[in-house]
Amino acid sequence: MNKESNRYTFLFSAAMVVVVAVALTVVSTVLQPLQNENAENEKRQNILQSVKVNVSREASREAFAVYITRQFLVNADGQEIPGDAFAVDPAKEMKKPREERRLPVFAARVDGSTKYILPVRGAGLWGPLWGYVALNDDGNAIFGAVFDHKGETPGLGAEITREEFRSRFDGKTIFENDALVAVRVLKGGQANGPHEVDAISGGTITSKGVETMLKNSLACYEPFLKSLP
Amino acid sequence: MENLANIFVRATFIDNMIFAYFLGMCSYLAVSKTVKTSIGLGVAVAFVLLVTVPINYLINAYLLSPGALARLFEGGAHIDLGYLSFIVFIAVVAAVVQLLEMIIEKYTPALYNQLGIFLPLIAVNCAIMGASLFMQEREYNSIAETFAFALGSGLGWLLAIAGVAAIREKLATANIPAPLRGVGITFIVTGLMAISFMSFLGISI
Amino acid sequence: MKIPLLLGPLSKNNPILAQILGICSALAVTAKMEPALVMGVSVTAVTALASLILSALRDAIPNRVRIIVQLVVVSALVIIIDQLLKAFAYDASKQLSVFVGLIITNCIIMGRVEAFALANKPWPSLLDGVGNGLGYAIILLLVAFFRELLGSGALFGARVIPEALYERGYANNGLMILPPAALILVGVIIWIHRARNKELIES
Repeated sequence: MNKESNRYTFLFSAAMVVVVAVALTVVSTVLQPLQNENAENEKRQNILQSVKVNVSREASREAFAVYITRQFLVNADGQEIPGDAFAVDPAKEMKKPREERRLPVFAARVDGSTKYILPVRGAGLWGPLWGYVALNDDGNAIFGAVFDHKGETPGLGAEITREEFRSRFDGKTIFENDALVAVRVLKGGQANGPHEVDAISGGTITSKGVETMLKNSLACYEPFLKSLP
Repeated sequence: MENLANIFVRATFIDNMIFAYFLGMCSYLAVSKTVKTSIGLGVAVAFVLLVTVPINYLINAYLLSPGALARLFEGGAHIDLGYLSFIVFIAVVAAVVQLLEMIIEKYTPALYNQLGIFLPLIAVNCAIMGASLFMQEREYNSIAETFAFALGSGLGWLLAIAGVAAIREKLATANIPAPLRGVGITFIVTGLMAISFMSFLGISI
Repeated sequence: MKIPLLLGPLSKNNPILAQILGICSALAVTAKMEPALVMGVSVTAVTALASLILSALRDAIPNRVRIIVQLVVVSALVIIIDQLLKAFAYDASKQLSVFVGLIITNCIIMGRVEAFALANKPWPSLLDGVGNGLGYAIILLLVAFFRELLGSGALFGARVIPEALYERGYANNGLMILPPAALILVGVIIWIHRARNKELIES
């Protein structure tokens, strides 16, 4: 058959499309469970890190079952609603209108007391930021926090993931009297109040992104936090 | 509107395709010898960006992203075609470039004479593919945001290549060490221009 | 006679330095050694396999759809690499993010397929692909070596500059981890390379 004829070109293209489609579908189907497992384990690892339980990604599944006592969803008024908290994507929920939001809460039992872990989502200099904030059972004092990012500058904004920055949030409180103030991130060693931490030097915009992320995300949970005894 | 202006300004100056991500360097280095041709290529890139990124946005949002197929038929909610996005994006880019070439040649021969030679180069320009991938990664919410992003990226690329071409025209008469002439000095000049563009970091409207 | 195919692209015929191909996706991943290594290995795998497959098919591909066939084969390979990274090298795939996808438009791959694989037998094409991929990986690692060493005082994430030096006032060079440093470093590497290979000098 003539290689340059329309018929041959068409047959060749059709055969190629079928072969490529089958190959990609097989690869994707085989690897999908592994990929999902990686992503879920990383999420478990991050959640546990916020209550200062450091485990490897592989070991996070068992540790998660041990420490996390309850996971549930609340609506914007702080009332519990049915659903799978782990599967909910908080970034998508925060974009929805207020009354449709389904906000995940993870309760952990650490050192004999209950901690509430809330996901936070925001934007840094180059891309999205996210993290988890663990609050004591008074819904006010921060027990621990963990942050991650997509593309902040290594050595500058990316330092928000380091223990050294995260531990600055420990013991800070997010309410002043009855008003939610979250935690302000201040430049250059000025932080001394109960709602203030120091920013990363050279990473001011990312640090401000963390501040805004905490303020906006925790605000969604305000009714829930106020309902805690 | 404020949001759109912000996305546009960011894409143009801060997330500049060349200075922040080095995308489209191959054609950038090859064509930036004179201002006139580089503006031609820049306009062509901006134009193709403005067409392909929104198309890829629609394909991604309504066909490829997880659960998007639920709108079309029962049971579609469990299908995630995300893994096909690379191949679909590049196919759209190649097809749009081919179509544009034919349309421009047929209806505006004058424009074709100026842009035509650049169009085949653009199908494999990383800036075009890169913009579609960034659009997917940054999860823009509406077609308007996607347009603002594509317009800003294209304008940023045009600014970069026109700027470097103007400098290269001057460099042609400068006394540069022989091994550094041409590509070498262009890299270093681009690096210095990138540093100056970094002063835009953090601006927002 | 086949050795030059493999080794030539490593220094003298280096795809980045001599042919100025494939810079696009290269430099954004060079702030640290680890992503640079993963990127180098991925590009080598795609270049080698794409050259091999397209060279084996070269007599069957209709000329009119040649470019599309190349794009489809390359994108399919890149998707497979991306899926493998997400499953088995999750951290690396997170660091590379969109740049894995940009391997498709890496000019080295299409450039070598057009210039070499479509005119040669599969075995030499495979060698040519591996050689060019490795040549690309070497430059990536070289740039990443200087950026990570000077910018973060570390290599592959492990600190190598002793603490004592920092106490005496040594500081990491913040410019090195920012994008412009990559461009300037490549410019300098090209300068050195051309000073040693005089026939590459542009008039």
